[in-house]
Amino acid sequence: MAPFGAAVVVVLAGGIAVLAARWLPPAVGPEATAPERIPFLGGGVPEVHAWSRFHIRYYAMALLFLAFDMEMVFMYPWAVVFAAEGAVALVEMLMFITILLLGILYAWREGALSWAS
Amino acid sequence: MGLLSAAAGRAEVPVFPVVGVGGRQAAEALWLMPGIRVVDSPRAAVLLVVVGRLTRALLHPTMLVHDQLPGPRATLWWPGAGGATPDDGAQGTEDLLAALPDVVTTVPGDTAGLLAVFADLLSGRRPSGRPALVDVEYPRWRGVGPHGHGGEGMMGGVPFGRPLAEMADDPDGLMLDQLPLRVGPFFPAWPPGLILDVGLQGDVLRGVAVGDNPYRSWPGDEPVGPLDTALFLATRTMATTVAALEVARARHHLRWLSRTLRGHGLAARAQRVGALAQSLSVDDRPVVEALARRLGRDAGLAAATSGVGIVDRAALERVGIDRYGGPVARAAGLGIDARTHDPAYADLGFAPVIHHEGDARARLRQRAAEAAQALSLAERAGEIVRPPGRPVEGPRGVLAPREPLPSSALLALLPDLLDGLEWGDAVTTVASLDLDLEEAALDQSVATWPARTSGGPTGASTTGAAPTSTGPAPTGPAPTSRVTP
Repeated sequence: MAPFGAAVVVVLAGGIAVLAARWLPPAVGPEATAPERIPFLGGGVPEVHAWSRFHIRYYAMALLFLAFDMEMVFMYPWAVVFAAEGAVALVEMLMFITILLLGILYAWREGALSWAS
Repeated sequence: MGLLSAAAGRAEVPVFPVVGVGGRQAAEALWLMPGIRVVDSPRAAVLLVVVGRLTRALLHPTMLVHDQLPGPRATLWWPGAGGATPDDGAQGTEDLLAALPDVVTTVPGDTAGLLAVFADLLSGRRPSGRPALVDVEYPRWRGVGPHGHGGEGMMGGVPFGRPLAEMADDPDGLMLDQLPLRVGPFFPAWPPGLILDVGLQGDVLRGVAVGDNPYRSWPGDEPVGPLDTALFLATRTMATTVAALEVARARHHLRWLSRTLRGHGLAARAQRVGALAQSLSVDDRPVVEALARRLGRDAGLAAATSGVGIVDRAALERVGIDRYGGPVARAAGLGIDARTHDPAYADLGFAPVIHHEGDARARLRQRAAEAAQALSLAERAGEIVRPPGRPVEGPRGVLAPREPLPSSALLALLPDLLDGLEWGDAVTTVASLDLDLEEAALDQSVATWPARTSGGPTGASTTGAAPTSTGPAPTGPAPTSRVTP
């Protein structure tokens, strides 16, 4: 237990600090009035609750990221044998990356990287 | 405590300006005042500065913004900016004094008075401003429904006091919630007084409508203050030197540039350009030319504005703006400029500056180039005097007798231009049009420039182009009602 004593103290102290910061100001200070709780819209009042479902537009970018992230997986075994194989390995990897690069250029052209199209 | 509050009283004063009729210039001067920090939200402010005269449509928004300042708070009123006095009988003005009993009335630009109010407030010598609205939530939701949060059933009732958003088509063929919001009239990224009714799907704007102009909502709300194009409007009855007009044009464009740079988060540069605009003279031509060159090359600004808010020729013709010319039309390749045919400019070798892209970047470069060109014209014009009465090229477009002012047409561009834009691009686009709601209000009033003709209000001809509101009236059911004294 001894090695973890310091960690337990830190976690406890941190938790207490967070809770204090969360609960102390409302307990000590004045409560916000109804107008103060209204979000600021330049003098207007929102008539509809902002709990709304909206389009997560980065999903296409997330898929692209995953594809190129997996590409890195193939580079680990390649890096291990690179010194032994020499220039042949280099050329092969360049071909692989070029094909993927064409893919990203295609996605770019199709507008997959623009946020709202 | 005494030492602490005294030190706090000497800090930078966070100020939120509320711009009434005629208050725009005085409100923008706040940015250049030492010891004052203009903030973007009333939550961050200690002082509310009401600049100019309030109309009735501005009264409830002002009261709400006032109550959104966390205490300690105080309100200053600079009525003189709008050419109004506390007792000129304007309805909104009387109501302001009734609604905010603690308001301190001073002259515009009175920095010392402002700092004194702040120091008094923080040291406790001045009590915090009393609320203008009652502290009641509307509609009632606490304790309603099975979980006490106001909701019940599949559609949720009114969770935390508000119904949920309706669904609408998404550009990708999905049905997703569209959050309707009314933004303005004191939203800091809009020009003062602009109210936009927008539907938000995430951060994409759908279905934009321009709300009623709060500077002109009821008969009798006449704009009284001088417009920022006052000198150009005065040319109908007054002979002016070409040099004075051109320096005024350059100043107008630089002030717009300062606002726009601030909108892009370049506060220090905005400050420098604003100070340059304030003290502008013909001798500043090299400085302005260098500024125009630097802005044209700026990669950050280019990234933020390229391809944003493209106004093409068809859009300009749809709202009738091709008749006005102005920097927006010239940035889209339409070389309309009243100075081309103006005899006073005949010997100056004037040729309009034109950009072709029609986007926010072209408008930025257009105005910067026109500011430099104006100073160069002023330099060459010498003592040339322009006789009164002819159509004049104002900073937003041609000001001709019995023609509507350019701001109304520019406002009519907004709904189509903003539809489908992301929020940030929409803010950039609105800023790039150089809108002035007071000018548009003057246009909608019977006193259309230059004067009412015998055939009836000439302003009536603009109603086709004038935007109409689809949202609720500004005085519609308020969630919080006024305290009755």
